[in-house]
Amino acid sequence: MMIKRLLIAAAALVWLGFLAVLGASYLLGLKQASAWPPAGQAIADKDVAKVERNVQLLEKKMAGLPPKGLYIVIDTAENRLYLKNGSQIVQTAVVSCGSGVVLEEQGGKNRSWVFDTPRGEFAVKSKITNPYWVKPDWAFIEEGEKIPKAMEDRIEAGTLGDYALGFGQGYFIHGTLYTRLLGRNVTHGCVRVGDEDLKKVFKAVSVGTKIYIY
Amino acid sequence: MRTIAAVTILAAAVLAGPGWSAGADKAALAKKQDTLSAEYGLAKEARFYFVFDVLGRKIELRARGMVLKTWPIREMRFWGRPEFAGTVELVKKTTLKAPERIVIKPGETEEIVKPAPAAAAAAASAPATAADYDLEAIELRDMPKRFGLDLDNGLHITVKAKTGAAAGFGVRVREAWRWYIGLPLQDLVGKRGEHELAELELTLENEQDAQSIYWHLFDGIKGIIL
Repeated sequence: MMIKRLLIAAAALVWLGFLAVLGASYLLGLKQASAWPPAGQAIADKDVAKVERNVQLLEKKMAGLPPKGLYIVIDTAENRLYLKNGSQIVQTAVVSCGSGVVLEEQGGKNRSWVFDTPRGEFAVKSKITNPYWVKPDWAFIEEGEKIPKAMEDRIEAGTLGDYALGFGQGYFIHGTLYTRLLGRNVTHGCVRVGDEDLKKVFKAVSVGTKIYIY
Repeated sequence: MRTIAAVTILAAAVLAGPGWSAGADKAALAKKQDTLSAEYGLAKEARFYFVFDVLGRKIELRARGMVLKTWPIREMRFWGRPEFAGTVELVKKTTLKAPERIVIKPGETEEIVKPAPAAAAAAASAPATAADYDLEAIELRDMPKRFGLDLDNGLHITVKAKTGAAAGFGVRVREAWRWYIGLPLQDLVGKRGEHELAELELTLENEQDAQSIYWHLFDGIKGIIL
């Protein structure tokens, strides 16, 4: 009987100790929470004017960073293209971006390609009307076809629609025959746009227009 | 006597008020300078960065100082001692089941577009649209709805959504134990590796926002925490 009581008392003590430790940790947590997010460090009165000038300078520098005039923004997750001027959206278009698929060449040079739309800051490098597609090696490998040696065997007309905007490394914003797949990630890295939307974007932008793909 | 006391208190408050306010203003000014300096360091280069605005309850993806995308935060809670100075970097994203790229072999392209099982079952009653197709692609819908973000300053952020499928009882018990017992005790003990314990849990309005964050915040992206 005595041993049982002692055991119960010991268990109660352990439990109370655990609750005390837990309580202490909650108090510590509350103290930390009250200091978050941290305020700025105090500055001396004599430095206030200097800091204010520095803030103004930084704000001026930041204001000069965004592109002037029209620019293109592409959301690869939502498959949306926005033509913007400052913070104003001039036009929105449903597009198709890269599928993220990996193509592996069997035999030959054992190359592989990742069909992602590149992300980052780009600029329109070329504007092409009635573009034709010069099929790269992967297009033949994907189809299980032999890679042709003659350049003319690589040329395909009509696939890219009526207009194309090149933004480097072989990537284009172009038209599509597969309009029912707009809004889905299906491309090999280029950005496909519906004919009417592409026409408007093509006419609005010029070589050098910034493109932000995220 | 009461009038004198009241006037004295009022006078003290009037005198102390501007002093306190000036102190707060100076701290805010210093913080603004630090934040702008950190952001300019990121924005002057051609790369994306994120801004986690704690008081504004939002995460933004920015480039060149422009806001490209905003994710509002519905709820947040944290344990520990987060340290925020200058820029932070996303070291890695952690999730139970990360999306995997589909590897295709030559000659298989004719199978790229195929109806999803749900769409196929419904095909008899309604025509399938492009959105119904299960493509051989990695899309937003394939991104995890719950995941972790490990930052280089030791802060671990758990991202989840308010809406969507409810977690099972076991998961909820494990989470409750971790949040209400495990983390407080760890916090009391002190450091976890190089850094102090710093755990933050963000709850977003919907699952798509969580998936979108997973898509857009890539490993190595830098950011600032306000």
